Amino acid sequence: MEQLISIIGAQAFTMIAGLIGVIAFVVVNALALTWAERKVAGHMQRRIGPKEVGPYGLIQPIADAIKLLGKEILTPGAVDKPLYVIAPILIFVPVLVSFIVIPFDARLVVSDIGVGILVILAFSSLTVLSILLAGWGSNNKYALMGAVRSIAQNIAYEIPLLLALLPVIMIAGSFSLTAIVEAQKGLWFVVYQPVAFIIYFIAAVAETNRTPFDLPEAESELVAGYHTEYSGMRFALFFLAEYTNMFIVSAIAVTFFLGGYQGPILPGVVWFLLKAYLVVFVIMWLKWTYPRVRFDQLLNISWKVLIPLAFINLLITGGILKL
Amino acid sequence: MSIGDLLFLFIVGVTLAGALAAVLAGSIVYALMGLVVTMFGVAGLYVYLHSPFLAMVQILIYVGAITVLIAFAIMLIGPQYRRPKEWTTLGKLGAAAGVAVVTLGLFVKFVMEVFPRTKAPAFTVTTKQIGALFFKDLVLPFELISLLIVVAILGAIMLALFARGDK
Repeated sequence: MEQLISIIGAQAFTMIAGLIGVIAFVVVNALALTWAERKVAGHMQRRIGPKEVGPYGLIQPIADAIKLLGKEILTPGAVDKPLYVIAPILIFVPVLVSFIVIPFDARLVVSDIGVGILVILAFSSLTVLSILLAGWGSNNKYALMGAVRSIAQNIAYEIPLLLALLPVIMIAGSFSLTAIVEAQKGLWFVVYQPVAFIIYFIAAVAETNRTPFDLPEAESELVAGYHTEYSGMRFALFFLAEYTNMFIVSAIAVTFFLGGYQGPILPGVVWFLLKAYLVVFVIMWLKWTYPRVRFDQLLNISWKVLIPLAFINLLITGGILKL
Repeated sequence: MSIGDLLFLFIVGVTLAGALAAVLAGSIVYALMGLVVTMFGVAGLYVYLHSPFLAMVQILIYVGAITVLIAFAIMLIGPQYRRPKEWTTLGKLGAAAGVAVVTLGLFVKFVMEVFPRTKAPAFTVTTKQIGALFFKDLVLPFELISLLIVVAILGAIMLALFARGDK
């Protein structure tokens, strides 16, 4: 071990170890979340959910994963092949990059970059791009419609998302996620910034394309939206990315508003995961409680309510900070 | 050659490859992808120059906003559009090459004049310094740029209205 560290250098070693950890976490997290989603959905609809494979159906996601891995990689004849192949790979880049800067504990972070939150926000724009590629490359009208909707939605909701995070950055005086968590030693920022938290939460649900904002993949009208033509492991990559994105937006909510890894008695990483999965649970709860919004409603909420509100909130915060 | 030099060459190569793809691609969607690769390459150059903030803002604005807007425009006009073969004639290629060579010459001359070859150490600019510059020393040009963008938006709206026939 020490020999290995001395050969490649300590920094590179942390980076590689961190990346391996991140990939392992992404897979385990997605498996756990698919199980949790089906259980939550089941209990909300007075069903039991998966229960046959393993105790409480815990092994079910592994069985599903093996089924997906075993499937033939099918490429429909009419697709634009390079774009079709690259889209599911591209959607995974922002997922992996985001985990590099998220602080799970005071020292449990792969690399504490000074502009941490900007890294996440910048790379998350690749998600939209890969959805566009998937939609266009599939050469299918449902996929294309799903992609068009996704782009309109993401343009609309990226703005309130950024504007809701800005007041927190202003109060903490740093882009670094660790510094933002450290700034919440006394009181969580959700107390100072309740409006920003609600705006962020709504925008985050919309950014992850989940119900009530799941128009890009509305199954009753668009079959499966942008991933209609994907099957097997390629589809699984989209699926993995969706669940991981859900965790990432929850992790950012925890880091920015809910005190991050801070909490009494238990170690920081436990607190962080507890809070993050609580937020994930609320997102699932929303999905199984509310119907899908209409497209004009979706865009109106963002442009006419969230963005003005976020701007007012930003102005007031700036004014108070200057006092 | 050190690892740093290799990295630099790699980033430059990616940037140039993306730029070539953006110009030469027949399909408008492929051209857009080339543009994205170039933007990432430029961001990589900023990281190489110790300016992570600038790099991230570059990706955030150019990949996250501008490219997505272009994609949206492509969706509105129909992405099936491909450049007809008869558009690329030999004369046009020659003219393009000529313009490219002259521009490159001017650019190299400009860089030589403005940035004399000194071995200045790499300096780091913090986000705080950038912000202070924008709101103190450079506040007038900064505001003028936003005014320019507002004028451009108003112009675009007017053009769209006239094209539709409303007065």
